[in-house]
Amino acid sequence: MHERLSFFVKRDSPIHRLNPMTKAVMALSLVLIAFLSPWYWTPLALFLFVILPLSLVARVAREYWNFILKVILPTLIILFIMQAFFLPGESRSIFEVFGLEITELSARLAFRNVMRILVMISSFTILLLTTHPSELMSDLSRRGLPGQFAYVVISSLQIIPQMQAKAQTIISAQRSRGLDTQSSFLRRVGGILPLVGPLVFGSLVEVEERAIAIEARGFTSTRPKTFLREIQDTSFDRALRWALIACVILTLILRIWLS
Amino acid sequence: MKIEIKDLYFTYPTGVEALRGISLTVESGEQVAIVGQNGAGKTTLVKHLNGLLLPTRGQVKIGGWDTTKYPVAKLASRVGYVFQNPDEQLFSRNVGMEVAFGPKNLGFDAERVEALVNDALVLTQLADKTETNPYDLSATWRKMVALASILSMDTDILIFDEPTTGQDAVNVARIAHVIAELRKRGKTVITITHDIDFCAENFERVIAMSQGKILLDGRTNDVLGREEILASTYVDPPQLTRLGKRLGFKNTVRNQEEFLNALKK
Amino acid sequence: MAIVNLQNVTYKYPLTDVPVLQNINLQVEEGEFVAVIGPNGAGKSTLCYTLAGFAPHFFKGELTGIVEVAGVESHNSILSEWVLNVGLAFQNPFNQISGAKYTVFEELAFGLENIGIPRDEMIARVEGAMKLTGISDLADRSPYSLSGGQQQRVALASILVMQPRVLVLDEPTSQMDPIGTREVFGVIHSMAESGMTVILVEHKMEWIAQFADRVIALKDGEILMNGDPSEVLTSPLLPSNGFGTSRYTSVARRAQELGLWNEGKLPITLDEAVRGFNSSLTKEEIPDARAK
Repeated sequence: MHERLSFFVKRDSPIHRLNPMTKAVMALSLVLIAFLSPWYWTPLALFLFVILPLSLVARVAREYWNFILKVILPTLIILFIMQAFFLPGESRSIFEVFGLEITELSARLAFRNVMRILVMISSFTILLLTTHPSELMSDLSRRGLPGQFAYVVISSLQIIPQMQAKAQTIISAQRSRGLDTQSSFLRRVGGILPLVGPLVFGSLVEVEERAIAIEARGFTSTRPKTFLREIQDTSFDRALRWALIACVILTLILRIWLS
Repeated sequence: MKIEIKDLYFTYPTGVEALRGISLTVESGEQVAIVGQNGAGKTTLVKHLNGLLLPTRGQVKIGGWDTTKYPVAKLASRVGYVFQNPDEQLFSRNVGMEVAFGPKNLGFDAERVEALVNDALVLTQLADKTETNPYDLSATWRKMVALASILSMDTDILIFDEPTTGQDAVNVARIAHVIAELRKRGKTVITITHDIDFCAENFERVIAMSQGKILLDGRTNDVLGREEILASTYVDPPQLTRLGKRLGFKNTVRNQEEFLNALKK
Repeated sequence: MAIVNLQNVTYKYPLTDVPVLQNINLQVEEGEFVAVIGPNGAGKSTLCYTLAGFAPHFFKGELTGIVEVAGVESHNSILSEWVLNVGLAFQNPFNQISGAKYTVFEELAFGLENIGIPRDEMIARVEGAMKLTGISDLADRSPYSLSGGQQQRVALASILVMQPRVLVLDEPTSQMDPIGTREVFGVIHSMAESGMTVILVEHKMEWIAQFADRVIALKDGEILMNGDPSEVLTSPLLPSNGFGTSRYTSVARRAQELGLWNEGKLPITLDEAVRGFNSSLTKEEIPDARAK
């Protein structure tokens, strides 16, 4: 379980080889275009003609679909139904139950919103599937993101499974002392302190020790940092980034102009 | 209270087969040490004794109770389990309250709780620290608080997971004293330990585990004498046992007294 | 000149009145292996933190006296520079993993990135440290997936890559199983062999007796004894002050009282005990033979 704490799938693909910053800009641009575009079908078009080909080129289609179908699709369906019922839409009713109705307009709006969210989740999923978190963070630090910030982001990602394991041990220890964790709600509330107390205190001790450990390795050194990972930033990367930014600006102009 | 384990297998949800056919009986009042390297299955085994883990196959009975039929909170009245790291269980404002938590959970009346708490505090030499916040104590004393908080539950069976880890000589002696007192009271004690000298000096029976199986189980001297098998579990015999061997003693010795007696011959 | 020089060092943690270290005077020569022993609460960890610069730079509190390593005084240095001279590793290997890296190789490089070592040198140093600690085959593993002994060797290697002049180790094996202990001591031994100055806090007397050039006995924040292992570890002051001793020493002391040990010096290792008891036995047999 500890071996795989990130989404990252190690493969060799043109997308994997892109600079992490380029991929981040790409993900962000797709999201912005999907949300800003004045045309109704833009999010769907992005999904069909950009996201899907990207997942194939990046050779992560299997992992991508796995995640989308198992985790995201059910959520999106629920979201679609909720929105279709509750978004205002003064138009022809196409479905009615318990006095709630879906109209043509509310369905259209719900579909667009769901597609926008799909594009957003998909583009970040592909970013994470093709980018090693350390690479992203070293690249961001190299571009001036404070090292402490990068550290906090990465280490919190790693710390979650450790906290879960610790919580499990604490629950076992207190159950062994006769704490009934499977009884009524009221007794459970009373049983919170024995579980949370050690978790919090234990974490404080750990945080201090970890602070000492990284400090002992020059964490706060004022010397200029170097990086183990060599990250390519080709002229193609730079061109692509500018092109993406141009697309976002163009979308923005179109939106203002057409509204 | 008798512990009966029959043909116990356990596989973690991750697929790791941690126990592979353990059969074991511990009679009431026995003092048993379990040794072996990390990953041998020691902790997995003892977690079956109070139902924290349930057999994938086989059966565990505590005084006739099948552990699959009773909740952990109920088994806690028969089996006390002192975890390795005290910081994973201490939460109360003061030592007295911490030690009272277990017996209160077991539903004892106030008078009995008080008597048990006092007894546990005296036994662990914490009587003068009743009002102290456990986290104002050193790690050494926190370990004793965790120990006391299980002693106070007055269970017939006690499990200690690595009681001497990180302890100094004085505290190891305190823990040995607690175990000796429990023996006098007829309690069953099962201890997991890496400290082979501690094991030799304080336990009558030793079980050596490796890869989910019991390699050796018997009287301490007999087990410690099996140097080759112990070596396969990466456990060195105790210092005095090794010294006795080197001096050519006929019998395996495990503590100072036995060593000196053998020397006199 | 001594690489480590402590003069009249007294240290108090913030918000406390009682000093944890009192009037410590200690000199360590370059390449020396010094073991520190003492009951819990004697101030051993605080001594480590003081040597490694964390007291007072990290914990604050009040330090008086002189703490000098490689000619630099702690008061005049900042922590991130001080740690380049003094490396620190401690008990719990798990808490020493940075948490920011996904492989052992990256974990080792973490410190070198922080202090701006050029990439080529970084890779060379990481490879060297992995070789020395025997973890080369773990390079691509996640630090979290390792056993305790492996993690502790990663922690040691992460400090070794920094190439400190002095290595301070605070009970590095106390949470290890027998294999882990052996692995970690193997590494410590080879570091000492390579000429590094090592200061080791440890409860396991048998290992100290094998490795240490000198033993410091600390009690209530003060140095009780400071000298040759065979002298300090056999001193009658140890048992009477709550220190542990090896079983070889304690059994020989008891045997001495019973007239079964006739050597001058008490043993601290298995070999010394074997030699001593063997010769005591033969000496004893002579009067027996005469009586017959």
